[in-house]
Amino acid sequence: MGIDMQYVIEGFMVAIQPQNLFWIALGGFLGTIVGMLPGLGPATAIALLIPITFGMDPTSALILMAAIYYGAMYGGSRSSILLNVPGDGSAIAATFDGYPMAQKGQAGQALAISAIASLIGGLVAVVGFILLSQPLAQFALKFGPAEYFMLMIFTLSAIVALAQGAMVKGFIAMGVGLLLSTIGIDLQTGVYRFTGGNVHLADGVDFLVVIIGIYAVGEVMYNYLTIDRPLGEKKNIGKIWITKEQWNRTKWPMLRNGPIGFLVGVLPGAGGAIASMISYSLEKQVSKKPEEFGEGAIEGLAAPESSNNAASVGAFIPMLTMGIPGSGTTAVILGAIVMLGLKPGPLLFENNPDMVWTFINSMFIGNIFLVILNIALVALLVRILDTPPKTLYPIILLLAFMGTYTLNFSMTDFVILIVFGLIGLVMKILQFPVAPLILAVIVGSEMEQNLRKSLVTHDSAWGLMTASPITIGLVILTIISLGYPLLTSWLKKRKLERSMGQ
Amino acid sequence: MLRFATPIFFMIVGFIYLIATLNLPKARLGDPNGPMYFPIIIAVLIIVSSAVYFFQEWKLRKEEFKEFQLIKEGRAPLYLIATIVLMLIYTFLFERIGFLYATMLFLGGLMFLLNGRKRWIYNIIIAVAFSFITWYAFAELLQVSLP
Repeated sequence: MGIDMQYVIEGFMVAIQPQNLFWIALGGFLGTIVGMLPGLGPATAIALLIPITFGMDPTSALILMAAIYYGAMYGGSRSSILLNVPGDGSAIAATFDGYPMAQKGQAGQALAISAIASLIGGLVAVVGFILLSQPLAQFALKFGPAEYFMLMIFTLSAIVALAQGAMVKGFIAMGVGLLLSTIGIDLQTGVYRFTGGNVHLADGVDFLVVIIGIYAVGEVMYNYLTIDRPLGEKKNIGKIWITKEQWNRTKWPMLRNGPIGFLVGVLPGAGGAIASMISYSLEKQVSKKPEEFGEGAIEGLAAPESSNNAASVGAFIPMLTMGIPGSGTTAVILGAIVMLGLKPGPLLFENNPDMVWTFINSMFIGNIFLVILNIALVALLVRILDTPPKTLYPIILLLAFMGTYTLNFSMTDFVILIVFGLIGLVMKILQFPVAPLILAVIVGSEMEQNLRKSLVTHDSAWGLMTASPITIGLVILTIISLGYPLLTSWLKKRKLERSMGQ
Repeated sequence: MLRFATPIFFMIVGFIYLIATLNLPKARLGDPNGPMYFPIIIAVLIIVSSAVYFFQEWKLRKEEFKEFQLIKEGRAPLYLIATIVLMLIYTFLFERIGFLYATMLFLGGLMFLLNGRKRWIYNIIIAVAFSFITWYAFAELLQVSLP
């Protein structure tokens, strides 16, 4: 299937409408700021801004939230480079060589190359999006309830498996998320489930309140634990541009890590954090001077920066083509756009190609906007790093309450918000991964409906799993995704024991 | 033993959920047990994983359990408890005394808690200014009716 030029042009025209340009700019700007702040990531930013999207048309809301997401990828590395404190998981790899560069007095170059690398990664990924999304949507049209159910199982297990070293905790988090999704009236039979007689719970626990509670209230309270610790001294920035030699050293790393990051982003469970780590170690392996990595090698900064931004674009593919988010952040976005009446899935590409193309074009424009913002206004932006967290956190808490209030105007939701804030805090402290819970809350109800629909035609679990080549493939993928981490940890242990024995 | 508190807690959650599931009313439409299938799977998942979690912790029982130490460090316990209390008070007052007053109290309380009494002018300015900004943004720009 080719690309209909008419839709491409129309999408571009819609994307450059003043109001959409405004949302791109606002989202990119806010994403950059929130990404910069230590401890807060794109999921928090989007969770806090959900009330703004009410009353917006779904396309603009999607554009805004996507801009926040990739904006956070640009912003996340600012504090990695200048303070050695990553803004979020995706920016950890940027501390390895970005901070040493800043220590050597190359902070300006480090900031510039990270913005340029993000741009290249982003653009490569948008091209990848165009190439991959339509075929994938076509493929997803073949999915029936059994296929969808197995796909959700695979996605959840991949997320759990990638919760490094905490698979069991991941399963518990996922179980709790699924449990929450079953509260309320059963859609097929009208039976009230687990409401405890509370009328407010008949419609279920509002998953957006759960999200705001865990990502905003929980994160803020977790950050309280380290709030009194002094941050490192900020480095002087110097000239924001790169030399010809630096460009020559980094152009290939940026170009080859874009597609890698993109593909990692498409996979369920893996996001920017994993993409940037993979790119970093890969670039180190192929480098002719691996000994410079960690000492301020510019490739070591360019590669993960390109990769994590590409991953954020790739992460939209499973969400938009199949309606299944592969990460915590895209799960939050899915939750928000479903509230606005948009139903992502393969039919979105058939019925709303205009919307899809507007979205794609917005990502092109947004990435170009962000590179300008991050290079031209960097001096202004880094001053935001001086905002005292002790002023910021109270305001974030207030925004969390306001967001919750606008959902249902209910004080019961405030209590739920506080409870989930505490749950989020305890999960963080005990190192429970959060993403499986969020994802499970959002897809849980869909998952149950698909399970029960498919049990009507396939009378047993075995029948369901072997319903079609697709389900069999997904079962195999699920087994691999769960078995692989177990296998590698077992092999590691055995190797360790052997070397101990010698 | 603090170490075992979490796995045991989740195991109890799993069993309560299982019992609640088995006591669900039968559906009058379609399969009478329809509403139960999915919750049963979830209950088993939670119970089995928390059992595995328990044994993982059992293996570590001789080591010190450090996870909760972060909460006890410095002023963190004060911050956490006071914030939770402030959030509960805010919930209680929100509809009773109106958005503006409740928010000023809430923000002001948080600001004094984190920044201390010495910076009282700054705290009050931030609390009042942001209460009005938020009120304006939500009530006027987003047309949300606030109490």
